[in-house]
Amino acid sequence: MSEKFTKSMARNIFYGGSAFFFLFFIALTVDTTAKLPERDHRENITEQVVLGKKVWEVNNCIGCHTLLGEGAYFAPELGNVYKRFGNSKEAIIGFIKSRPVDGIPGRRSMPQFNLSDEELDGIAEFLKWTSEINTANWPPNIEG
Amino acid sequence: MQYQSQAVAKPYFIAAIGLFVGQIVFGAILGLQYVMGDFLFPEIPFNVARMVHTNLLIVWLLFGFMGAAYYMVPEETETELYSPKLALILFWVFLAAGVLTIIGYLAVPYATLAQITGNDLLPTMGREFLEQPTITKIGIVIVALGMLFNISMTVLKGRKTAIIMVLLLGLWGLAIFFLFSFYNPENLVLDKIFWWWVVHLWVEGVWELILGSILAFVLIKMTGVDREIIEKWLYVIIAMALISGIIGTGHHYFWIGTPEYWQWWGSIFSAIEPIPFFMMVIFAFNMVNKRKRDHPNKAAMLWAMGTPVMAFLGAGVWGFMHTLAPVNYYTHGTQITAAHGHMAFYGAYVMIVLAIISYAMPLLRGRAAGNSKKAQIVEMWSFWLMTVSMVFITLFLTGAGILQVWLQRINENPMGFMEVQDKIAIFYWMREVAGVIFLIGLIVYVTSFFIGGDEEEASS
Amino acid sequence: MTQSHTKISQYPPGDFAIWIFIYAELLVFGIFFLSYAFARSQNVELFNESQLNLNRISGAINTLILITSSYFVVRAVAAIRENKSLLCARWLLAAIVLAGAFIGIKLFEFISIYSEGISLSTNTFYMFYLSMTFFHFMHVIMGMVILIAVMLKAKQGGYSNEDHTGVETGASYWHMVDLVWIILFPLVYVMR
Repeated sequence: MSEKFTKSMARNIFYGGSAFFFLFFIALTVDTTAKLPERDHRENITEQVVLGKKVWEVNNCIGCHTLLGEGAYFAPELGNVYKRFGNSKEAIIGFIKSRPVDGIPGRRSMPQFNLSDEELDGIAEFLKWTSEINTANWPPNIEG
Repeated sequence: MQYQSQAVAKPYFIAAIGLFVGQIVFGAILGLQYVMGDFLFPEIPFNVARMVHTNLLIVWLLFGFMGAAYYMVPEETETELYSPKLALILFWVFLAAGVLTIIGYLAVPYATLAQITGNDLLPTMGREFLEQPTITKIGIVIVALGMLFNISMTVLKGRKTAIIMVLLLGLWGLAIFFLFSFYNPENLVLDKIFWWWVVHLWVEGVWELILGSILAFVLIKMTGVDREIIEKWLYVIIAMALISGIIGTGHHYFWIGTPEYWQWWGSIFSAIEPIPFFMMVIFAFNMVNKRKRDHPNKAAMLWAMGTPVMAFLGAGVWGFMHTLAPVNYYTHGTQITAAHGHMAFYGAYVMIVLAIISYAMPLLRGRAAGNSKKAQIVEMWSFWLMTVSMVFITLFLTGAGILQVWLQRINENPMGFMEVQDKIAIFYWMREVAGVIFLIGLIVYVTSFFIGGDEEEASS
Repeated sequence: MTQSHTKISQYPPGDFAIWIFIYAELLVFGIFFLSYAFARSQNVELFNESQLNLNRISGAINTLILITSSYFVVRAVAAIRENKSLLCARWLLAAIVLAGAFIGIKLFEFISIYSEGISLSTNTFYMFYLSMTFFHFMHVIMGMVILIAVMLKAKQGGYSNEDHTGVETGASYWHMVDLVWIILFPLVYVMR
């Protein structure tokens, strides 16, 4: 058996198999991106949403929170925070604005980012849009 | 050391260990912030410390991979490196870029860093693990291309072994898939899909090629088993890794807005992802049983044997535990993920880099084969301290995760996130204790480099 | 086992590396089949209803085609064992032509399904139907590439009765592709 186990065949299988499955992965990805508009509701990506995503990124929100389950696990999931806060942009904005500069003694606290009204509106719009993505019914409940 | 130019690996390895220490210090800070929420607040908020922790990990592993490449390539290709000078220049460029980036994270608020580094021109920042300023990312690409040019030119003029071809493919893949970090669409779902082309296709794709090739190299050197046998098993193992791992990317496409068929595709292919790791364990132990010599560097052997075992546990077992879509529906984005991440990264990538350092460093320092017995014993102590404490970190995080899933996701009256965090604080405390022991293990590891004594004789 | 005997009865035939690959592939298909059975048990009505829409005749023809091509591959291996390189290449060519016919019919099937507006996301049945048949379809193409490579080498006299591991390797892979279809066809097209 072992003398009929050759390195060249193992190599062919590695290169051939990898290329095969990578092509297949690309095919699935093409199908996915074609199907995506029905699920992400991209028609609702307004200027505010775009600004909101930028605000989200340049303040490194993902460093504490998860968004659709991805990120750090130090602070609550925000993919559905718009719904958890009673479908209210004002509640989100109010929460971000009211974070104490020096934190809360002994407890975790979100930093005070000193965002402008425009940025606050953007982040709220971004989280609202995110909450409307079709995520196959995830998270299991409103607590995220 | 058979070739003069292998010496360029040394600064890479030293930098890797130095940054590793930094990574673990910040890990300990993070662990404490989990239970003492106001620790170092607002000077070093959690998100900054985490960014330092994860980015240092990536950077020091890259230093390790590059060092490994510069060490292995001349020996495998049987020719001197194309340009040792370029390798040294790139070392300093990469170190400066890395250190400046970390200082940037710590010195100014992240938003300010984004502003002064011109993130608006090409926004790439603020995504998990890809937090580096855009100019740092460009720097990484330049360094990677420079290194690839250097070692590709070396390989072209020398012997082309399977180990080196696999390593080269892994490094090229690393550079190519990193380019997706420059793609940051306004649509979050698209952003996430292609973000995984960097993250998943790195750690469950091309990095496994680098891992396999370093492991095969160390095994050939240490066991003296025939190259043919080791190389053909290398091909089979990495073939299995890519066959399962590429479409296995689908296990990240369950709940981010992607079509639901990924729940099947992702589950089915990631169900076979443990197989290559299991094969790697069998392979490594078989090769050691077939060994034709007893290499005097016992410490390197321990790292090399530990790698597949811990990779199988961390990536294989802990990965499989929550990879099937019906399970992942409840565990996605909890401490279970953190548990898996810690052990998988340690087992697969930290340990392989420490294995090649352990093997190569004594030779780079002009010793015949291994460090003195005394130094090796200290190093082996550090192996057990770090490995066992990592097992406990993983177990405690798993406990935290199970409880979190139960209280927050499955319970009829689900509790809020912060409330649950208080309930599971005991697990975080225990994790922090295990983390401190890991840090002690790391200090022991560093100490082992400064222990002299008579060096071990080389045996043929 | 005597020396002269080992040449023929050595198991498994072909290169051992292809068998690792074959086992891996069978494992993937096997999990797919089990998943299909499980998903079907959750929603029998939907599966039965959607199944009626499939073209069973083209599926049956394709089954015959693949079985026949497998037989041709067997003939090819038998030919090379008698040292008849050209005959071996000719049998392989016949198998490859049939594989091409399979692909043609399958493409026709895919196009008619696609023109009905059916995709992976239509329902769970079509998800499985398209996933498994397309995955298998890609394997037929891969098998064809392998057979073509083996045929070209056989034509140049690259194999002999002493050394024809490559032919056996290609044949083993092709039989796997055939075997999977023989399970896939009744499972997805026929069984209710």
